[in-house]
Amino acid sequence: MDELYLDNIDEYVNDHDKIVTYKWLSLTLGVHVNTAKQMLFHYLDHKRKESSGQLHATYLVSGKMVDNGQTSHKVSVVREEQLEDFKAKMSLIVSVHVYSVQKALLKDSSPLYSVDYDAVRDNLKNCSRYSAIRCASAVPLSSVELQQTRQTPQAPTPEPAVKKSSMNGDLPLTSKPPAKQQKGIMGMFANKTASKNQDSSREVKSKQKEEADAPVVDVPKSKPAVKASPMTNFFGTQKAKKPDKSVKEEETAAAAAAAAAAAAAAAAAAQSSSTAPQQRPSSPPEEKQEAAAGQSTKNTKKDSRSKTKRIEDSDSEEEKMEKKKRRRIKKPEPDSSDEDVIPDSPQQMEIKESLPQPKKEIEPVSHSHPSLPVMKTRKRRRVLKSRTFLDDEGCIVTEKGYESESYSEAEEDVPVKQAPKNPFPAKLTASNKEDEKKGQKKTASANKGTKQASIMGFFQKK
Amino acid sequence: MTTLTRQDLNFGQVVADILCEFLEVAIHLILYVREVYPSGIFQKRKKYNVPVQMSCHPELNQYIQDTLHCVKPLIEKNDAEKVVVVIMDKEHHPVERFVFEISQPPLLSISSDTLLSHVEQLLRAFILKISVCDAVLNNNPPGCSFTVLVHTRDSATRNMEKVQVIKDFPWIVADEQEVHMQEPRLIPLKTMTSDIVKMQLYVEERAQKT
Repeated sequence: MDELYLDNIDEYVNDHDKIVTYKWLSLTLGVHVNTAKQMLFHYLDHKRKESSGQLHATYLVSGKMVDNGQTSHKVSVVREEQLEDFKAKMSLIVSVHVYSVQKALLKDSSPLYSVDYDAVRDNLKNCSRYSAIRCASAVPLSSVELQQTRQTPQAPTPEPAVKKSSMNGDLPLTSKPPAKQQKGIMGMFANKTASKNQDSSREVKSKQKEEADAPVVDVPKSKPAVKASPMTNFFGTQKAKKPDKSVKEEETAAAAAAAAAAAAAAAAAAQSSSTAPQQRPSSPPEEKQEAAAGQSTKNTKKDSRSKTKRIEDSDSEEEKMEKKKRRRIKKPEPDSSDEDVIPDSPQQMEIKESLPQPKKEIEPVSHSHPSLPVMKTRKRRRVLKSRTFLDDEGCIVTEKGYESESYSEAEEDVPVKQAPKNPFPAKLTASNKEDEKKGQKKTASANKGTKQASIMGFFQKK
Repeated sequence: MTTLTRQDLNFGQVVADILCEFLEVAIHLILYVREVYPSGIFQKRKKYNVPVQMSCHPELNQYIQDTLHCVKPLIEKNDAEKVVVVIMDKEHHPVERFVFEISQPPLLSISSDTLLSHVEQLLRAFILKISVCDAVLNNNPPGCSFTVLVHTRDSATRNMEKVQVIKDFPWIVADEQEVHMQEPRLIPLKTMTSDIVKMQLYVEERAQKT
């Protein structure tokens, strides 16, 4: 490729003081995301050699990490300084690529989100034009179909919710009730596609680490298959580093998330090539292949190799997952209302849920939750809540965070004082009362009396 | 003209509300980015659909809110020319001044449907710019504090002194020392023009900070 792009990037970074993320670059220059990633890498390389000026970069690292004996897939954005440390901690690195280049040293990840927000918003219809995820059946519904979906009675969200702060992929992944769309169309979509996702994701999960090119392709397919809005919203929320995505973000989030999913699935393929974490996104091209359903023999070969290697890891994990997933599916109703994060498909959840806050986040576990879309009868909203709990050292810790809370329209009039029970009994020890008070303070329908059972149900499941 | 009076007032209120909300977020963000206070007191909140850092410290929040509460009537009447967030070192000499120049556009109108989302987009850009401003600014010495100054047109301040908008929160005429900065370097950050407000943000930085 010609070298003009180096000048372009230079202009953005140095003259305009912009943060150049690969996604923004791909949308601005009209190139494929993988090309954008490589452009950024070359630019960085070039500048470092010249050693002119001070540039900072962030990287996206995706791979497997063993945490307390549990293996999970982690996708993080890390600063350059922390890159090597982070890579050393991971047991298997699936992909590493440049996420952004900027002049300023970022103190937290919020600007990264803001940068992409407007770019995606402007390109909402075709923000996945340059992405590596493809699905032929992912097309927006026609208005006729939309009407139909709206008319079918809104069934309660089928999937149970997941623990909000689950950073590990192997923790019970739940599907977010797709019925959380801001625009209100979703419930239908979600219900329709939720079961489909469940199946495909289960399938995917069982073969996730392994080959499963077909299921893998299924995963990205099933993801986009849920129509743009609910799906992307789901993904938007799953991406831990971008917790507050609005509907508009969703598509790019979906693209990125699916890319990560494809990456995970392509772990098999990438395994042999990415033993040494590379700056060069060789795995993204492979991801691309996978996602594009280019089933080559090479992949299957690698898959079988990786299969044997990872069979122990995945087996127990899969069993756990499947068991939990099945369990969850059995009891959808009680739990659906108070879950904070309810993903569509557990498999994706695994990848997405396991997204930790980026390392440079100051905030601990109490991260904000994505604003979930509003359904007609049941709503979710983000509420600032303080949770007080006893931590390991016996100190009472108060954390504030946005929790998404579900409440029904009918229950909005429920007075704040009504519900004595607090949504987080699991964490409370001595500070029950305090918590209740804090919980009550927040929103009108913070603790709906009628939903007490389900709130407790959620925690008991843990 | 007379028939527009009530509309004008409402309009002024709308603009003032939007601006004060934005200024609150901006001040918190400036305190975070310039490390005036330790980053532990900040937490992520959402504004304009993007994450921003706001402080949790109740007294700090109250101070900022009271400040802006007093500024709001000035903005409503279009008396406030500039709102300046001054960061001062230990000796109370300003080292940085974030200047928000506010003016009303020549054609004031709330007619457009997409007005608010457009304004939101512009304000988002401001927030983003503040987040990355440390690329162009030198580091501040430790132990800085901040204050908010308002430059008003005409004699609006006289009214402010007479009538305390918030009890026990008086505004006083600023010292020359706080206003004047030695050897300032001007760094423009962002400009926006919309149907309801025109705003410019630039930073004046002292050439030698320590």
